Formats: sequence, structure tokens, C-alpha cells
Amino acid sequence: MLQDLLGAVTLGSIYLMFALGMSLAWGSIGILNFAHGSIFMFAAFVGYLVLAQSPLSLIALVALGVTVGALLSVLVHVVAFEQITRWTKDHRTAEMQILIGGIGIAGIPLALAQYETRSNPFGFTQSSFQPTVHVVGDLRVSDLQVLIVVAAAVLTTAIALWLRHSRQGLALRSIGVDAEVASMMGVNRRRFAIVTMAVAGGLAGLAAVLYTFYVGALTPESGETLIIKAFACIILGGVGSMAGVAVGAFALAFAETLVLTNFGGLWVDAISFSLIFAVLLLRPAGLFGKKAVRRT
Amino acid sequence: MNANKLPWWRPVSVVAVVGALLAASACGSGEGGGAAGPESGDGLPPVVRVVSTNPVTGPAAQNGIAANEGHHLAIKEINESGFLGDTTIEMEEVDTAGDSQTAASELTKAITDDSVSAVFGAVQSESAVAQAPIAQNSKMPIIFTQAGSDGVVIGEYTFRLTPTMNVYYPILSKFMKEQGWKTMGILYTAATPSLEMIGEETLPAMAEELGIEVVSSVATQGSTQDFTAPISQLLKDDPDGVAVLLIGAANPTAMTQLRQAGYEGAVLGSAAAASGVLDPAGEDGAGMVWPVGYHPSMEYEASQKFTEAFREEYGEDPMFNSADSYDAAWFFARALKRANSANREDIQKALDEIAAEPWTGALGENLTFTDRILDVPGVVVEKTADGEKLLYYASDVEE
Repeated sequence: MLQDLLGAVTLGSIYLMFALGMSLAWGSIGILNFAHGSIFMFAAFVGYLVLAQSPLSLIALVALGVTVGALLSVLVHVVAFEQITRWTKDHRTAEMQILIGGIGIAGIPLALAQYETRSNPFGFTQSSFQPTVHVVGDLRVSDLQVLIVVAAAVLTTAIALWLRHSRQGLALRSIGVDAEVASMMGVNRRRFAIVTMAVAGGLAGLAAVLYTFYVGALTPESGETLIIKAFACIILGGVGSMAGVAVGAFALAFAETLVLTNFGGLWVDAISFSLIFAVLLLRPAGLFGKKAVRRT
Repeated sequence: MNANKLPWWRPVSVVAVVGALLAASACGSGEGGGAAGPESGDGLPPVVRVVSTNPVTGPAAQNGIAANEGHHLAIKEINESGFLGDTTIEMEEVDTAGDSQTAASELTKAITDDSVSAVFGAVQSESAVAQAPIAQNSKMPIIFTQAGSDGVVIGEYTFRLTPTMNVYYPILSKFMKEQGWKTMGILYTAATPSLEMIGEETLPAMAEELGIEVVSSVATQGSTQDFTAPISQLLKDDPDGVAVLLIGAANPTAMTQLRQAGYEGAVLGSAAAASGVLDPAGEDGAGMVWPVGYHPSMEYEASQKFTEAFREEYGEDPMFNSADSYDAAWFFARALKRANSANREDIQKALDEIAAEPWTGALGENLTFTDRILDVPGVVVEKTADGEKLLYYASDVEE
């Protein structure tokens, strides 16, 4: 029971780290980036390629993953999303095009990794860091699990506090409320968008490195499965809410673990997503979503 | 003219266009129609064309590329040795990208091409099941390898050079008996029919015969990436042994997390973990054991000849897919020689004749076909810290 609880907390932390970047971009600058999974995977893939030449430590791999994720995310934004936003008449129209554009662009890193690996699994066996398991009573805990949970908690708290209490966070939130007015108030939308995408990509890269160590192996397609989970976490928690995405991530992880231990693995997705659907019927904006305010 | 009434020629022209489109698609359809292939009669033409429909991109790319390599090697040998006299075989590779619809449409294109005599079918079961009825109905000889599920070998035009996994999996009984297990747990994926069958039927039956109690059986979806919770369920009753029947990256993940969960014993697996798939697990991958139709260490003369030729051609050890497809190409070549014709019907009859005789190739010696499926006895292989080791042959298993 305790082991299953630890597993669920670790899984929830992974979902949270993955979804955090997506939620930040979507909730603030309105970019629903479906290339996020591909960026996540590619950050780990680059780590794998570099490890073939040199046995990097965990810290070095994390730094590499964050850098690759950030750069790739900014590149995708500048090359695709920014162009779409510039050439469409309003953000509503741009949203669908950004979504489709993200799906399309996701195919490029995917194809590159598939070509190089022949879709074989890849991992970090060459790294100088390998997780160590400690036995505490009946519980088996690895140092990596502790790191994942702590990293997710610290990052989520830091981002939530920054958004809530800093001037830049306020500026970013104002873009999320009304980009035009924010611009008129002196907020440099382009600069904030690029920084936000860089942070989102960096979070994806961090999640990728820790996740690869945790599961031992990724394939080029690994990011695609997590995209759907992240989307579900964000919708469940409420778009734009950091607390919401955290609750959504852990709710999904716990639901999956509960279903698996009681009903079997075949029902995990069906029941987990049904639970999410049930919640959304009661709260369409998500658990922490804000109702739109309209002047009458 | 009444503004609300359509002119008479509008609906007529729509019907005409739709009718023309339907007629064109029926002409192009491979189902019961389409081209008949090369003509029968005056011996073999200078070039015989065969199409390979395998995934060279997508999740099964490794298997598809390995299959094509085996085909290429065999065809190179056939052409260079003059096995068919002045006739050479030309193989066209088309990429199914692991998609069943693409596999079916590429097969249909081959069927409508008069110059194509036969097709090497897709290695994935889902794609093969989509292709088999099209090939059968269109009378196109199709030779599959792997693709071990029902609905693939369905008629006289369909052949497969590997049996379904459940036919040779029981050779693992010797290993299970030697381990002395009293209880076991089974973790399997429902994503592929063959592994689902092994997990739900074949392995429990083997365990029962050996007096081993299956204390846990955990099914997972294809989308499962973290196996912490399934493994927790698998090990909750502390089984003596476990089986992990998964595909792709799930294998190294499950082995890593199994060792982290404290299980240190042997693990029954499947050929889906072969050929480097377990490498990301490092030392944690050692100890998995599986049955497979071919391994580079096999000592049969024909197997060794193939292995050496492959190493010389490609600079690495062959995968089982390559051995299967190598034999598939030779099977086709022998049928061409027997038929002395590139006509599809003639080839089908010749394939049937050859399938009635003992078969010797990369997969073994004096093998037999049953209902157009090659009976490959197999070997058992163990993953070690520095590679793979052949443990024993099916012939070493006492009845």
C-alpha cells in the first residue's frame, strides 16, 4: 500500500513537471504547444547522444536537457507560433492553427530520433549517475524518486509564487487576461512570450532527464503519450492555474494507480479519463479554473 | 426559369462524376479485381519483380529494416550465384510506416502492377492481418515473416515462415522446471495479440503442467510507460519467478523497475526484448530468458552460413527478422525455379509444392510446413551482462 502510494506520488510529480511548462505557456501567452512532447523527448535524446561520447553526471545531463529543451521551444515559437500569431487577425483564429502547427512540427524531432535509433529504446546507461534504492522498513525508495518529488514541488511552488508576487509574473498574467491591453500598458509581449516558451521548454528538458533515469528507457514516441496526460491534467485543474495543474497531475496519477491495483491495467485509461470527465461535468472550467467575467 | 429549381444537367453531371469515380476505384481495387501479374508460359523473364512491404519508419522500424536486410542478402546471393540462370530478382521496398492502412494500400498498388510476381508481407500482425485477405482475394502470393497472429495465413496464397509465438513458447518449460519455481507472476501487455495469448493462455497452461501456481497476473496497456504500480501488483504475493511479456521500451523499463523493487531472479520474456532492446537497462536487463526462432549462435550449417554472410555484408550480427526474411526470399526463389514462371498462380502452386518438402535454411534444418506455416522449433536465449547467450535448443527439451 505504502509502496503504491510512493509510486503514485512519483508518477504525479512526473506528470506535473511535464505539464507545468505546457500550462505556463497556455495559461499566460495562450500557446497550446502540442510539440511539447517532442521537445521533451528530444532533450533526452540529445543527452543520450552526448553520453555516447562522454559519461556525464546527473547535473550535467540536467543542464544539457534544460538547455536543449529551452532552445528548441524558443525555436518552435519563433519559427512557427509567432508567425501564425502575426498573420492571423485574432488570437482565437490563431489558437487552432497553433495547435495544428504544433502537431506538425512535433513530427520533425520525432522523425530525426526515429531515424537515428530505428525507434529502438534509448537510455542513460552510460551516465556516471545510476539511481540507488534504499530500504526503509517495508518501503523501497530510490534517491531518484526523492529528487523527482522534491524538484516537482520546488518548481511548482517557485513558479506559482513568481507568477503571483513578482512584477514580471503580474505582467505575464496580464497577457493571459488581455494581451492587447497588456501591450498598451507597456508589457513587451514578444519578449515575455519568448522567455515563457524558454522556461516551458526548459521544464520539459528537466522532466525528460529525470523521467529517463526513472523509467530506464524512452523511445522517440514516448513524449506523445505524455502529451495527452498533460492535457488532461491541465483541463482537470483549470487552465492557467499552477495549483490546478498540480492537483490535476496528482489526481490523474492516483486514479491510475487506484484503478490498476483494484481493476487491472487494461482499465487505467478508460476509468481515469472517465473520472476526469465526471469532474468536468460538475466544474467545466476545471477544479481551479476561473469563470470568465463579462460586462453586461 | 424558376430560381429555386436546379437545372437538369446539374444532378445528372454529379451522378456521372460519382459513377466515374466509383468505376475508377473498382478498376484500381485489389479485391477480386485488378492486374493478373506476369503471364504464364515461356519460362522466366529476365527480371522478376517482388515488393517488400515493411515498416522502415515508425515504432517497428528496427524489425522492418532487419527484414529488408535479410531479403536483400538472399536476393544478392540468388542473383550472383545464377540460381535462376539469366533471370534476376528485383526487389522494391515500400515503407508501411507501421500503419495498417498504408500496408494495405501498398499491397494493392503492387497487385495492380502487372510486373510484380509476389509480395513480402509486413512483419507487424496488425498490418499483416489487413494485407492477407487482399492478397488472397487478388491471388497475389504473399510471404509473411513474424506477424504471428490469427488471420494472417488464410488461404493458398498466404504463407508465413515463422509460427505463432504460442507454438514455440513452451520450450521454456525446461528452463522453468530447472528453476524449481513453485509460484510465479505474469506481467503482460494486451497491446499485441501474440503476447496477450502467451500471458493469458500459453504460459498459465505451461505453469499448470509443471505444478507452478500463478499467484499474480497483471495486464497493461500499450500506453503504459511507468511499471512501478504493475510490478508492485506482480510481486505482492512474493512469487518465486516472474514473466514479463512486453514490447519495445517497456522491456528495459520493467526490468529496471523490477530490480529496483527487489526481485533478483530469472525473468521469462519474449523475443520482443531481443537484439539490443534491453541494453538501456544495463545490468538490470541481465537474467531475462526468451524463446526465439533464430539466434546467431545456432550451430546448424545453414544457419551458420547465413550468419557469416550477414556479418560480412552488414558488419553486425543478424536479428531474427533478418533470418526469417532471408529464408522467405529463398523460398520465393525456389518457387520461381520450380515454376519456371513469374506468373502468380504458377508461383503459388510451386510454393505449395516446396512447402510439402523438408526445408533447410537460416532457421534450421529439415523443417516442415504445416498449413503453409513453417514450423520453427526455436532456441532459448538468455540476456547476460555483456550480450546474449544461447541456453539450449528445442531438441534438448524432453517430451
